Formats: sequence, C-alpha cells, structure tokens
Amino acid sequence: MKRLWYFIREAYTSLRTHRTSTLIGVITTAFTLTSFGIFLLLYHNVHNLLGQVQHTIQIIVYPKNDIESGKLHDLQQGLKTDPAVDSLTFISKQDALTEFKEQFPEEVYLLEGLGESPFPASLILTMAAKSPTTDMIGNLVNRLQHHPDIDRVRYNRDWIERLTLIIAYMEFGALLVGSILALASVTIIAITVQLAFHTRQQEIEILRLIGATSLFISIPYLIEGAILGAAGGGMALGFLRGGFELFTQNTQGLNVFGGFSSALEFFPLPLSLILIAGGILLGCLGTVTTIYGSLRFRL
Amino acid sequence: MIQLFHVTKYYDGCLALSDISLRIEKGECVLLTGPSGAGKTTLLKLIFGAEHPDEGQILVQNRNIARLGGSDVPYHRRTMGYVLQDFKLLPQRTVSENVALPLIIRGLSSFESRRKVLEALRAVGMDHKLSSIASVLSAGEQQRVCIARAIVNSPIILLADEPTGNLDPQLTTEIAALFKAINTRGTTVMMATHNRQVVEQLNGRILRLDCGHLVSDQGVYT
Ligand SMILES: Nc1ncnc2c1ncn2[C@@H]1O[C@H](COP(=O)(O)OP(=O)(O)OP(=O)(O)O)[C@@H](O)[C@H]1O
Ligand SMILES: [Mg+2]
Repeated sequence: MKRLWYFIREAYTSLRTHRTSTLIGVITTAFTLTSFGIFLLLYHNVHNLLGQVQHTIQIIVYPKNDIESGKLHDLQQGLKTDPAVDSLTFISKQDALTEFKEQFPEEVYLLEGLGESPFPASLILTMAAKSPTTDMIGNLVNRLQHHPDIDRVRYNRDWIERLTLIIAYMEFGALLVGSILALASVTIIAITVQLAFHTRQQEIEILRLIGATSLFISIPYLIEGAILGAAGGGMALGFLRGGFELFTQNTQGLNVFGGFSSALEFFPLPLSLILIAGGILLGCLGTVTTIYGSLRFRL
Repeated sequence: MIQLFHVTKYYDGCLALSDISLRIEKGECVLLTGPSGAGKTTLLKLIFGAEHPDEGQILVQNRNIARLGGSDVPYHRRTMGYVLQDFKLLPQRTVSENVALPLIIRGLSSFESRRKVLEALRAVGMDHKLSSIASVLSAGEQQRVCIARAIVNSPIILLADEPTGNLDPQLTTEIAALFKAINTRGTTVMMATHNRQVVEQLNGRILRLDCGHLVSDQGVYT
C-alpha cells in the first residue's frame, strides 16, 4: 500500500517537474493515435458498408438441367446451413416462366410452341450481413462452381472484388502508417521519460544504494509513460470525435456518398477503449526502451 | 562474516586492489586507512556488490558476492547500510521520508515503518526534526539522517566511506561517537577514513592500504 502510494507520487512529481516535455509527449501520442484513428474510422466504416452491401449481393445458382429432385433437395439443405448465406429462394422452371410472362407480356409469343419452360431453375442466395468476409463469399462461389450438380453460378462480382481490394489496401495502409507513427510516438515518449530519468539520476543512485531492485526503480517511470499514453489516447479520441461530428454535419446535405453518409458511425465503445489502451501501450513501450539501457549502471 | 580471498581489482587495466585477503568477524569495528587512491572506496564497493572483483572471492555472510547475479545485488545490499561522504539524501523530502525509503522498498507496513523510522532517528538524535525538509538541514544533521537511513533496516554490516569528510572537528567527534555506539550494539562497522581523530576515537581494528596493497592489519591503534 505504502509502495503504491510512493510509486504514484513519484510518477506525479516527475510529470509535474517536466511539464513541457510531458506536454510534447502527450501531444505526439495524441497526434499518432489521431492519425491512426482516422484510418481505423475509415476502415470501420468501409467494413460496415461492406456488411450493408453484402446483404444486397445475390448469388444465383443454376443447377444442372437434369438434376434429380433428391439431389436438388440436398443442395438446398447444404446451402441453407452455410454460414455465409442469409436466405435462399428456389425458383423452378415454371416459376421462371411465370415471372417472364409477367415482366414481358408482349414477348410471350416468342415462347409459343415450346411446350416445356425453356428457363432453367435457379436458386437465389442472399449473403449474411454478419461476418461479411469477402473470403467467405469467394470460397462459397468457388465451391459452387465446382459442384457436380451445378451448371453455372452468377453473381455481381464487381462489387465484391472492388470492396475486397479496398479493404486489403486499407489494412495494409493502416498497418504501415500505424507502425511508422507508433514508432515516432514511442521515441518521443522514450525521450520524455529519459529526461525525467536523467534529471533524477541522483535519486536513482540513492535507491540503488539502499537496495532497490530495477523493477522498483522503474515502476514510477512506467506509470509516467502509461499516464502520458493514456492522456494522448484520450486527447486523440476527443479530436476524432470532434472531427467526425464536423465531417458528418458538413456532408449530410450533400449526399456525396450516395446516401451512405447517413450510415457513417463513430467507434463503438470497445474500439474507443482499444485506442486508449493503445496509448497506454505506446507509453509503456517508450518507458521500457528507455529504462532497458539506462538501468544497468552501477553505484 | 566478511571474508576476502586473494581479491584483485583493476579499473581499465589500472590496478586498484592487489591480492587482498582478510577476514572480519561479526561485531568488529574495522577502520580502513591509507593515502588517497589507496583503494579504500574500491574495497567497500566490492563488499557492497557495486563492483566485481577481477580475481579472487568475496564471502559476505557465506554468500559469494563475486558470483552474485545482477538481480541478487539489491537483496544483498538490503542486509547492509552504506554511509557516504556526500550525504545523498532526497533534498525535497522530509527527514522521515528519507529514512523510510529502505522500508518502502522492502514493502513494510506503515505502522511498523513509522516505529522503525522513529527508532533510527532517535538513535542518531534527530527525532525532533522528523518533518524537516532534508535540504535545509546542516551538514552534521544530514549525515545523521544518512546514518539513520543506513541503520533503519537493522543491517548486520554498516559500511561507511569517509562519513566525516565534510564535517568540522566538533561534528566529526559526534558522528564518530554515533558509529561507536552502533558498533557497541553489535553491528559490524567498516569505515574508510583519513581522519586520525576518528581512528583514535573508534579504537578498532586498523587495515592500512597503500596503492592497492594491504600493508598492515593491527588489532588496536597505538
Ligand atoms: N570508476 C573508476 N574508474 C577508473 N578508475 C577508478 C575508478 N574508481 C577508482 N579508480 C581508481 O582506483 C584507485 C583506487 O581508488 P579508490 O577510490 O578506491 O581510492 P580511495 O582509497 O578511496 O581514495 P580516497 O581516499 O581519495 O577516497 C585510484 O587510483 C582511482 O583512480
Ligand atoms: Mg575513497
């Protein structure tokens, strides 16, 4: 208990005595996390969008013309239980004919004399909005195409492939930008902590003299780093929220995103917490990199 | 209690201690003397685990200090007190906070800690300045607080490196008397000093170093 109090007070004293560098550390972390957060926000919304679009994606499966009714039943059952599939509609040859007649009453004469319906039976699948991984759809389509009882598979390939590509680019970009910025932030925090560390060399020497372990000596600095990081994370969250509100307000009337603008949403709570946790992690990492080298001196 | 076997220490190839062997028993009062650069501080640091010997072995309470891993050193130090010439107090902290530091490190309860701090400060005659800030104390007072901090853990060995180096003769006598009293209560004291007055006053075993060699080992100063 007494130790904890000691640690917290030490961290607080250190933060106070180095106000300028503390501020720089917090701002850098905030900047890092804001940039990263913008990416995350975009990513989050594109993912959302994909979920919505996914629902409108239809895959049309044409079974072989001469398929036995038992096998057709098996096929339907198999598709219904597939996790990527939301709903399934069977359209028989006769249904297809009826539909054609309804839609194109003037063209009906074309079909006269053909006797049986010339249209193939089909299965229309809509995709589950949840867990909308494009891989799942790709896999499904792949499987269906090689299925012995299936003649042909048709789906709006464009949408899926384009979105898949965007998501892949974004993931890559986020990783790249995120790691560069994280490195910058860790460095700045490391410098901040190092400053504190150097001005308190005397104190550390005293702690060494009375038998403090390296862990004991470094805990206040770890707390300091964590506080810096958490403050940076909180600040970044504030920036993002503000920026987000501004953005949605200004784009609402414009309808630039083809109606999707209203569907934009901010991070849910877990993601916000992750951002702050990210700040804390960066802060601790900065401290650890500083301390690792510095603590090896002797009395 | 403390045993050295053929201990040799170099600093960057420069000899600081050469083939030192000695044995110190529990409760002894040992005075390290010799000219500047003789290796007194080095010998104390070796025992304290702040330096490693290049050759030889050092046993402190049957523990081989030469083979101590980095993470064991702090625990080794907690069994000892170390008083230095320049006082090394946290200047912005109060006397009792300074003295309590070794106890915080060991995770003692507040209650027990307060009792021990008071006891240690009483032993050095500083219990009336419990909540003074360390930096406003006089030199003699600061050194007393340092001694209190060194003995607050009830160490078995008290090491001191020129503890009276920055003090006037009057204060020197007082501090020397404190060490004498601590030794009388059973703590092994090992002190490096140039000061003839201190040597006479403490009346202990005298080890004389010169250029890294142990040149004499006398039971009592004459
Ligand atoms: N960290 C160090 N690096 C290099 N040389 C050192 C170091 N510490 C001590 N020495 C050298 O080792 C020798 C012994 O030094 P030491 O400090 O033990 O002497 P001392 O007897 O304590 O002297 P003084 O009475 O002046 O305090 C000296 O020649 C000194 O220059
Ligand atoms: Mg010395």
